[in-house]
Amino acid sequence: MLAFAIRRIIGAIPTLFALIVISFFIMRVAPGGPFSANRKLTAAVLENINKAYHLDEPLWMQFGRYLWGLAHFDFGPSTKYMDYSVTELIVQGLPVSIEIGLWAMLIATFSGIALGMAGALRRNGATDLTAGIIAMTGIAVPTFVIGPLLQIVFGLQLNWLPIAGWDGSFAAKVLPVFVLALPNIAYISRLTRGSMIETLRTNYVRTARAKGIGPHRVIWKHALTGAMLPVIAYLGPATAITVTGSVVVEQIFGIPGIGRYFVEGATNRDYPLVMGVTILYGGIVILANIVTDVVRGLLDPKVSYE
Amino acid sequence: MRNLFARGLGKALLGAAIIATAIAATPALAETVLNRGFGASPDTLDPHMNFGAREGWIQDDMYEGLTASNAKGEIGPGAAEKWETSDDGLTWTFHLRDGLKWSNGDPLVAQDFINGVIRQLDPKTASPRAYYFGSLIPLVGGQEFMDTKEGGDPKTVGITAPDDKTIVMKLKAPQPNMMYLVESYHIPPLHKPSFDKFGGDFIKPENIVNNGPYMMTEMVPQSHVTLVKNPNYWDAANVKIDKVVYVVTEDDQTELKRYKAGELDATNEIPSNQLDAVKEEFGKEARITPYLESQYISFNVNKAPFDNIKVRQALAIGIDRQVLQDKILKAGYQANCGYSPPNDPRYKQPQVPECNMSKEERMEKGKALLAEAGFGPDNPLKVTIESSTDNTAKKLAEGVALMWKQNLGVDAKVNAQEFQAWMDTFYAGGWDVLNDNLIGDMPGPESHLIYMRPSADSGYGWKNDEYEGLMDKAAAEADLAKRYDILAQAEKNLLDYYLVTPLDVTTSRHLVKPSVKGWEDNILDVHPTKLMSVEK
Repeated sequence: MLAFAIRRIIGAIPTLFALIVISFFIMRVAPGGPFSANRKLTAAVLENINKAYHLDEPLWMQFGRYLWGLAHFDFGPSTKYMDYSVTELIVQGLPVSIEIGLWAMLIATFSGIALGMAGALRRNGATDLTAGIIAMTGIAVPTFVIGPLLQIVFGLQLNWLPIAGWDGSFAAKVLPVFVLALPNIAYISRLTRGSMIETLRTNYVRTARAKGIGPHRVIWKHALTGAMLPVIAYLGPATAITVTGSVVVEQIFGIPGIGRYFVEGATNRDYPLVMGVTILYGGIVILANIVTDVVRGLLDPKVSYE
Repeated sequence: MRNLFARGLGKALLGAAIIATAIAATPALAETVLNRGFGASPDTLDPHMNFGAREGWIQDDMYEGLTASNAKGEIGPGAAEKWETSDDGLTWTFHLRDGLKWSNGDPLVAQDFINGVIRQLDPKTASPRAYYFGSLIPLVGGQEFMDTKEGGDPKTVGITAPDDKTIVMKLKAPQPNMMYLVESYHIPPLHKPSFDKFGGDFIKPENIVNNGPYMMTEMVPQSHVTLVKNPNYWDAANVKIDKVVYVVTEDDQTELKRYKAGELDATNEIPSNQLDAVKEEFGKEARITPYLESQYISFNVNKAPFDNIKVRQALAIGIDRQVLQDKILKAGYQANCGYSPPNDPRYKQPQVPECNMSKEERMEKGKALLAEAGFGPDNPLKVTIESSTDNTAKKLAEGVALMWKQNLGVDAKVNAQEFQAWMDTFYAGGWDVLNDNLIGDMPGPESHLIYMRPSADSGYGWKNDEYEGLMDKAAAEADLAKRYDILAQAEKNLLDYYLVTPLDVTTSRHLVKPSVKGWEDNILDVHPTKLMSVEK
């Protein structure tokens, strides 16, 4: 298994490199640059600024310069937030996004699996219906509707939780984590339910029941591991997306994470910042996929590491 | 066993309860805190690089310039207690007050202000605000120092400190509004030892040394900036608020909710689609004031058919500015009939004649002019308005397009792009009509009119020697009243040329809790924390 993981990691390097090359050049296709917004800049000052950020050099030279910086783990300065380097911005924002993201995924996984199992085992009953409604709401209603609604109910009317802001306290985390978890709860519960129902119909489960093993052991020991495979496959990329922050949740709840940098960086044509978060996100997705494959290999006896 | 355990647990709980009560009963520190909504995260807090108006609020609290505004935006002494100017208006002398100190106790001397100016002008700094001391305040040697690529000699720049308490500025041309241009926003001093030691990082909270009423203790990007009272400020005794937290509020709907919940004492903005509801609910707490920003339509006078003045005039006539504000935009802005935002009662602004026409008059006159230019129902004029995707800007552009369609039969549409792309389209040329705006640097029409000079090369591509001549004459006039007269002539010249046609003046919109005293509405939208207090 270790050999497998190492092989995958080495194989990921060309993928990451392709990501860097494509992002670097495609970004500059969009009209406008990082400093074209400031209307009162005279041509002379603009020239100076562009020189300071090496934007006047030919593209291949800028790219080489960027790769050299990467080799030293230097992502460059942010052109929009001029007081900070991209590394500083990521280092300050990433822990926040990861913390909220991991909590959200944890809650989503447990709640989702529980809801899904309840639905599968008591099919078409009241439990299944309720679980189904919760799932549909989570999938259909967007975060920018649920978020403000919860803010009004729990923040303004009941006054139990702060509306927004991040001071590290538990209360400040409740709403954003919940809103982030909700769509994932929905997906995971539907996945679990469907997969569980299918697994219960397979031959090996029927054999186990035929051998006289009690229903509880059949479900919790034998069927569950098989049923979990689609969920694991979903969890990998979903965790990657969630821990790198959600733009909407972070803006609505005023969380200083890195989610907004993906969107804002693009709108501001902040090339170094966009490159930085893109590479980060690419790396995390690749890692998540490797972990997912390893876990699947552990769970599913049909999968081998060839 | 269970009994012992229960007893032990009981004792522990009792102990915890006693401690909790004791903590709750301790009176909170009598520290006044002001929570201000800030809007989007600040771009930079480097005072010699900062170009943003909101970042200017933080700069205002952390630094003090030679002059300072009061709560109404009126100018008065700051670090300088008095100043005088020579008869020809070309020499200004500022006298600093006694006992000025930096926040770390170092004495603050005149040379510190000069170091700040030199840093701004230095091409190596690549500061977007270098032109403050190059052209806005035409310092002798300023523009030249800015333009010397390898870095010139600071001694050639006309700002000197003959002693620790005096600053002398030599100008190439008079600038009667000088007092407005030497505040904390324009001339923050530089603490050279910090800058030499830390370079660009000298502004980080752990390194920073400043001279204003507040010091920065915390800066978390995308979250907040915390300032606490500076004990070494010369007027610290009169600073009533101990701590001010500028809270980043990107989403104005969330900001409104936080204000309602009491998490914020003042907001940065009021959501434009809820303006009426907020005004009704909050009454006097909603502060909506005209701002130093005007919005207007600019024509591309280098592209047919907009090079024909009849076409431009027709389009200008076709806009009913009051209806645009009342029925379409509804953002609390004020219709404007001149180019610059009217804010100085001493300035008599020329008005465009088409401002108060009736709808029938507009349709009649506008269509007649278009017919003279060769356009009519069988040959409709096609216009594309370039706008940014900002919500209010887009609404404004769409309102104008609608009016042109209805009043003039013009085939008008709006092309909305992201800000950078919109700017790129403008500079590339080839556009028809631009949904334009400009924020002034100081009260009065001057910064707007300077920007429109053909020689300023702002991208409009027009030539007008008469306008340039008038602006040159105004720049040489030291008497403010006479200067304003000449500027009014220049503005009329601009409006008669129909390079632009005015739309409105924007407003600044804030919600301020009644417990906050000392927040006065003013056109510059300056609200120094040092002049405020919080009463329960």
